Amino acid sequence: MAKKVLIVDDEDLVRNYVRRALASRGWEITEANNGAAALALLEGREFDAVVCDLKMPDLRGEEVVRQIRELRPAMKVVVITGSVSNITTPIVPGVEVDGFLIKPFGIDEIRDLLEKLTNPGPTPREEKH
Amino acid sequence: MSAKANILIVDDEPQIAEMISATLLLHGYAVTVAYDGAQGVEKVSAEKFDLAVMDLQMPGMDGFTALGEMKKLDPEIEVIIATGHGTMGIAIQSMRKGAFDFISKPFDIKDLLKAVERALEKKKFNDIGRAIFSTIRPEEQLRVIIDSVTRILKAQESLLVLPDKDGKPRIAVSQGLENEAARASRLEYCARMLAQSDGSGKAMLPVDAPGADKRFSDIAGLSAVKFSLFLPLVEDNKPAGLIGINRLEENSPFNEDDLQRARIFGSLVNLALRNSSLYRQLQETQGQLIQAEKMSALGQLAGGLAHEINNPLSGILGLTQLVLENLDPASQNHADLKEIEKAVFRCKKIIVSLLSFSRQEKTRVEPVSVNEVIEETLTLCARQLELQRVKINRQFSPGLPLVNADFQQLMQVFLNLLTNARDAMPDGGELTIATNLLKDPAGRELLISSVSDTGAGIEPEILGRIFDPFFTTKPVGKGTGLGLSVCLGIISRHNGYIKAHSMPGAGATFTVTIPV
Repeated sequence: MAKKVLIVDDEDLVRNYVRRALASRGWEITEANNGAAALALLEGREFDAVVCDLKMPDLRGEEVVRQIRELRPAMKVVVITGSVSNITTPIVPGVEVDGFLIKPFGIDEIRDLLEKLTNPGPTPREEKH
Repeated sequence: MSAKANILIVDDEPQIAEMISATLLLHGYAVTVAYDGAQGVEKVSAEKFDLAVMDLQMPGMDGFTALGEMKKLDPEIEVIIATGHGTMGIAIQSMRKGAFDFISKPFDIKDLLKAVERALEKKKFNDIGRAIFSTIRPEEQLRVIIDSVTRILKAQESLLVLPDKDGKPRIAVSQGLENEAARASRLEYCARMLAQSDGSGKAMLPVDAPGADKRFSDIAGLSAVKFSLFLPLVEDNKPAGLIGINRLEENSPFNEDDLQRARIFGSLVNLALRNSSLYRQLQETQGQLIQAEKMSALGQLAGGLAHEINNPLSGILGLTQLVLENLDPASQNHADLKEIEKAVFRCKKIIVSLLSFSRQEKTRVEPVSVNEVIEETLTLCARQLELQRVKINRQFSPGLPLVNADFQQLMQVFLNLLTNARDAMPDGGELTIATNLLKDPAGRELLISSVSDTGAGIEPEILGRIFDPFFTTKPVGKGTGLGLSVCLGIISRHNGYIKAHSMPGAGATFTVTIPV
């Protein structure tokens, strides 16, 4: 069964290539262009991973990530950001994320990261595919 | 024809006005007459006068009031009060109101002429003073000084001798020295006088016929000089230079008046030079502040822009790579898109450097050993330097105090300086890293570290720009032009400063000064 990923970014250009990069590797893609839409989608559906931008017009990305974590504690969360300064401080204070990529990032970077996170080898998984 | 000076006579007695007017005209002055105070003031508002000779008791506006009004209209005008009611009280009162001199009627016309000459001479000095103080550009100021001194002391030649960086006297500016031989002999002459100057700034004894003086008789070509005067320049009570003033005509010795003029002029010059040196220091400090401001503004801008730029850049990179996946690797399109991909990575690198000094986070300050920072940095790049046949000299002073600094950021600074030094010596060379403790004039301890290379050096024209953001001499794609800007930003945040010294062909030295 195809793994499901939710891509959250207000930038069409970024969603566009991330979607195509992952789709060609068999991922099932859902997109949201703002934080509220992302949270609404998460209410009713299961995802293996979420790729979330940190700066969006409606909700601060940090807040979205915090709420996603509360809603789906075991889901993999990857943060993508264009602000380099974020790497020096915890991305979201008090919330652990599974990975992050600094924009601009290439298609193999996002593919590899998600593959690695969702195929953890010996570690037992809680979520079903 | 031009008159010696433009003089206004204000007197309500026509005969007296006529008498003064006729005498002054006869002596080559241009003269205008007014018959009361109000008329006098009106003339001053309409025309530029060097001097007014004015009665005190006149119908309508009296002389005191007119004097005040004239000085308001033209602060540079000199005024001589001439009155028949000459008491000490009135004299003092006129001086307080800004009159230059006071003479009692009836007066000998010769005394008036003398007073007029004195007033005009004072005005000349005022004008020269203004000219000297009006510019702080050294070349211009020195030129004005030499031109004025030659004129005032009626000399045929004059020269200003200053020591160069190595303390060797050289001619900074001169007048009337026609050829190299003359320049050489006058320089040697002045250099010997300069060696005798004691730093008190007092005018030195004039020298007559230096060609026949045994102190100078070995200098060829000095016999043309008949009479000389010297004005020593002083800085911090030490001899700083010398103005030599020469008359070439026989029987034209400098007299007591000339010496007096020279003394006044000398103190004026010393004051002006001190003034402009202080002003330049101020400007330099201001320049550093502006530079720091510029960096901070740029940093904030960069921080805000990075996000905006990184989004589209991410799109360009991702889409390029998606297309690349579907292209024949041997095709031209594939090669072109690879170039685009490379260009994106270059942009990314630039933005990362830009952001490295835009970070708003606080510098994490702790007591740090600068020697340790440098050692740590060297472990990162010593291998690279050795590969390039660069010999590393460590001249670390032992037992230096710790400074309050951010270890990582200081490392970044030294890494930058060491990388630049390496790039300056592509064919090998020597890298010298030194640390020292110094005290500034206020007694504060400063830790100075310097990184010197033996590369090609930095051209003087670009030395002033190397700390500017995006200024680079490295090939396109090699340097971002931000390395030294980042260093400057970091060291400024540590309340220190960073400076570059270089002579083309003789390598470059960067000094980093951090307060202890």
